[in-house]
Amino acid sequence: MLPLSKILGSSVGKKYVMALTGLAMVFFLLEHLLGNFLLYSTDPVPYNQYGHFLISFGNILIVAEFVLIAILLAHVVSGISVALGKKAARPSGYRQSGDAGGASKKTFASTTMIYSGLLTFIFLVIHIKTFKYGPEYAMTVDGVVMRDLHKLVWETFSNPVYVVWYVGTLLFLGFHLRHGFWSTFQSMGGNHPRYSPLIHSVGIFIAVVLAAGFIGIPIWIYFTGA
Amino acid sequence: MTLDSKTPDGPLAEKWDKHKFDLKLVNPANKRKYTVIVVGTGLAGGAAAASLGEMGYNVLNFCIQDSARRAHSIAAQGGINAAKNYPNDGDSIWRLFYDTVKGGDYRSREANVYRLAQVSNNIIDQCVAQGVPFAREYGGLLDNRSFGGAQVSRTFYARGQTGQQLLLGAYSSLMRQVETGKVKMFPRYEMLDLVVKDGHAKGIVTRNLVTGEIKSFAGDAVVLATGGYGNVFYLSTNAKNSNATAAWRCHKRGALFANPCYTQIHPTCIPVSGDYQSKLTLMSESLRNDGRVWVPKKKGDTRKPNEIPEDERDYYLERRYPSFGNLVPRDVASRNAKNACDEGKGVGDTGLAVYLDFANAIERMGEDTVRDKYGNLFDMYERITGENPYKVPMRIFPAVHYTMGGLWVDYNLMSNVPGLFVLGEANFSDHGANRLGASALMQGLADGYFVIPYTLGDYLANAGVSGTAIDSVEFQDAEEEVNAQIDKLLSINGKKTVTDFSRQLGLNLWNNVGMARNEKGLNTALKEIPELKTEFWSELKVPNDKASLNKNLEFATRVADYFELAELMARDALERTESCGGHFREESQTEEGEALRDDENFSHVTAWEYTGEGKAPNLHKESLEFKNVKLTQRSYK
Amino acid sequence: METMTLNLKVWRQKDTNSTGGLVAYTLETVSTHMSFLEMLDVLNEKLLAEDGDPIEFDNDCREGICGMCSLVINGVAHGPWNGAATCQLHMREYKDGDTITIEPWRAQAFPVIKDLVVDRTAFDRIISAGGYVSMNAGGAPDANAIPISKSVADEAMDAASCIGCAACVAACPNASASLFTAAKISQLALLPQGHPERAERVLLMVEQMDSEGFGDCSNHAECEAVCPKQISISHIARMKREYMKAALMAK
Repeated sequence: MLPLSKILGSSVGKKYVMALTGLAMVFFLLEHLLGNFLLYSTDPVPYNQYGHFLISFGNILIVAEFVLIAILLAHVVSGISVALGKKAARPSGYRQSGDAGGASKKTFASTTMIYSGLLTFIFLVIHIKTFKYGPEYAMTVDGVVMRDLHKLVWETFSNPVYVVWYVGTLLFLGFHLRHGFWSTFQSMGGNHPRYSPLIHSVGIFIAVVLAAGFIGIPIWIYFTGA
Repeated sequence: MTLDSKTPDGPLAEKWDKHKFDLKLVNPANKRKYTVIVVGTGLAGGAAAASLGEMGYNVLNFCIQDSARRAHSIAAQGGINAAKNYPNDGDSIWRLFYDTVKGGDYRSREANVYRLAQVSNNIIDQCVAQGVPFAREYGGLLDNRSFGGAQVSRTFYARGQTGQQLLLGAYSSLMRQVETGKVKMFPRYEMLDLVVKDGHAKGIVTRNLVTGEIKSFAGDAVVLATGGYGNVFYLSTNAKNSNATAAWRCHKRGALFANPCYTQIHPTCIPVSGDYQSKLTLMSESLRNDGRVWVPKKKGDTRKPNEIPEDERDYYLERRYPSFGNLVPRDVASRNAKNACDEGKGVGDTGLAVYLDFANAIERMGEDTVRDKYGNLFDMYERITGENPYKVPMRIFPAVHYTMGGLWVDYNLMSNVPGLFVLGEANFSDHGANRLGASALMQGLADGYFVIPYTLGDYLANAGVSGTAIDSVEFQDAEEEVNAQIDKLLSINGKKTVTDFSRQLGLNLWNNVGMARNEKGLNTALKEIPELKTEFWSELKVPNDKASLNKNLEFATRVADYFELAELMARDALERTESCGGHFREESQTEEGEALRDDENFSHVTAWEYTGEGKAPNLHKESLEFKNVKLTQRSYK
Repeated sequence: METMTLNLKVWRQKDTNSTGGLVAYTLETVSTHMSFLEMLDVLNEKLLAEDGDPIEFDNDCREGICGMCSLVINGVAHGPWNGAATCQLHMREYKDGDTITIEPWRAQAFPVIKDLVVDRTAFDRIISAGGYVSMNAGGAPDANAIPISKSVADEAMDAASCIGCAACVAACPNASASLFTAAKISQLALLPQGHPERAERVLLMVEQMDSEGFGDCSNHAECEAVCPKQISISHIARMKREYMKAALMAK
């Protein structure tokens, strides 16, 4: 094997890291959304039980969180590196821009990956601060004391500023996934005349499902809660 | 001067093997002491530079484009011939040899052509091993097709991009030698003079096309592979940068120029659309397999082609040549198209085109089958003309395509200037008066991969390491001459551009030394070309900048040489009063109007010696002996 | 014959170290039958007649195979016709009064030499890093010694049809040379003749590509869209597979 630093430093290795970490985070998001569907219920119990179940993993959860952060940071670092490389590779841009059409997969989504990515990163920091490190409400279910995150979420999304911020940024997450999902396959060498169009469609589907699923929550809560 | 072709003795089939044994070798350890200059990176030059590098010589390789990969060999579409006989249809080295000599209308050297046929098989092996993706059968073996009227299928091809694939194969081998350090590349350098010291070629003078710097390079031998001179006609299928300057400057330093009047006019090109036309695009001659050539029977008929009824059309090739029909050889097809247009039956806006009609083929095979066979070519035609050839007949017209003439070389591909070797289209050696389809690629690679590696060693072993320094007086003189010419071109400051002059010269040549030549026209050319040359040197306008990229200046140095070369072409055509191959003298034709050779008086190569500015050149003759083939009159009735 | 008047904005730059800029020209009597480069020829003749400096632009074969022509036309490398090089573009694409902006390939690895002419020798260096089969003339076995299935040969030919024009780099939002590099790697990875050096080749060529200062591939596929030979980004995917396999298995 070549030295790991050499592989990861190469243009190919860098994109493998981005693809693998991106794909891992897609799986996390799918799991996250699945759990969050419980937020559509006005009954706080199922959601809080789900949260409590996760917390009950204790150290394992902490390890998982560190792994997730590592994955996220690797993704961010490789993303920033690509963006900086882009600037270095073409210091003086075209005075007139244009699109070739045809076989091109260049879209608004594909050309704004660094911005949608950074926005999502900022969103994540605020998101974690708001909820994970937000006010610790508690409730008791069947004699078990657990954190009442449901209340915190519903409280937060009664604020229209939060709702707008969430809807806006999650829309960009959707765009990020729209180019990101199929891209992970291409970056790792997965391209096949029969399967690639399918992967591309699945990517769009996943982007829509995740964005719409997550965006629905604040909107639902805002209007239902009010 | 007597021209010694140095053709080895012995039976034809054994000459090359015997000769290879007789050639002196350079010891492997000594090869690194020699520096070889290779000018050009096409099939011949690229293959030569790569092979010589592989053998251990130090190679300096020059090209005028920005990369070695762009030489004009890249544009060859059809394929490359070889005598593999994979289709089991009766091909052999002998048959390929025979067809090539006959196709050249018996004006080439038997021994050279036989060697070409012999090494043709090695070329295919070499290219496959390089990773050239030739077309294959479903079973995984190489596919062959028939081409250019040959009766056997011996043409290997890679879609319509065979030249490109072969060139990229040579280029990749060349780049490998660049990586090893044995070859040093000089892209965007143009050779402007040959340096001869003590009678031997010892170096070249170049111009760096980016900085304008004039720089000399010394070597123990110079290998010239700079292509043909078709652009003398201004409009041709050659690339814009293809030119004759390197070869012409060698001529002026003593190398003989052989058979300059042998030019090939390709019948199926897209016609000229206006006076802004910069070049002509070839369409593969395979189109004539299914397309029918016709013109209206009535002169000056302006009706649309589809409105002209069947009985008012003249399918003149089918009428005149019932057995070959639309598949007559290139020279015959071209001449007949010209005749039809001369009679006023030409079609299109300019009246300089004939129809190539696929209506019958579409009716017979269906549009889908036609699309499968010719889709790419139809698309290309539509892209250029904006007309849909599935609906409207194509318009075609002949265009200058290849030049069989070139610097005279012996069997070793060495010119009469010792140490100056000439390969590929730049030499005159293998195609006689007419080149067959798919033979140019074969010759370029044969020269580069399989001839020069042997024959160059013999010269070097005899001549020894020269150690010529570029500060010797011969180099200084040559550099001064080059500089003086450039300064002169820049100082004229007249009114007409180099394109104006090139176009004017080309038209003159096309009219007088084109598809059909006669004494009157040739004398007109010989009178008018020097006049135009005088005007050039007093009326030219070039942007006055010699220290940076200046394409007008590059072209001016080339066009300056075209005048002299054009004059020699006319002179050679006048001298050769017979018709043969691509050279058709109207005074020498059969009763049916076909080319009539005069073997008694013209079975020779004409090789012209430069004698100085404004002086008539000396003519030397190398007589051609045919011991293995019987000379016959070509007939396609 | 139809003619039109065009407003051209052309990048003029004296040399590598100068700063360039767009210069406006009006060109009348442009025929719809002209090729794009012939239109520039006509403009140059006009400039010369007016004692101006002609615009330098690379071109050679003018039939879409040499890869020399290299113009970004209204923001699109090789202009609006897919599957065609600049020299194949014809003026009937445009109409009277159109404004056309013409710029050179822009990439750090391709310094502008003058006006619209750039230096693409970085591509030669990528090939010399490993884009070949290491065999000397003379030692090849019979051409039919190794059968190669038609589909493999065809796919290799798809990749091999690259003309090295570098439109892929020019069009890539990141100025990546992945399509060019991958096309050669893919051709020789597909063909058995390339197999002995397969692993070494991909590592060396990718390393050279990276060191030339090209950007990374972000899968926009704009390269495939502008490629005159429409080479698919599936070859880039193959390069990535080949690279990772070679990197992990390297000794």
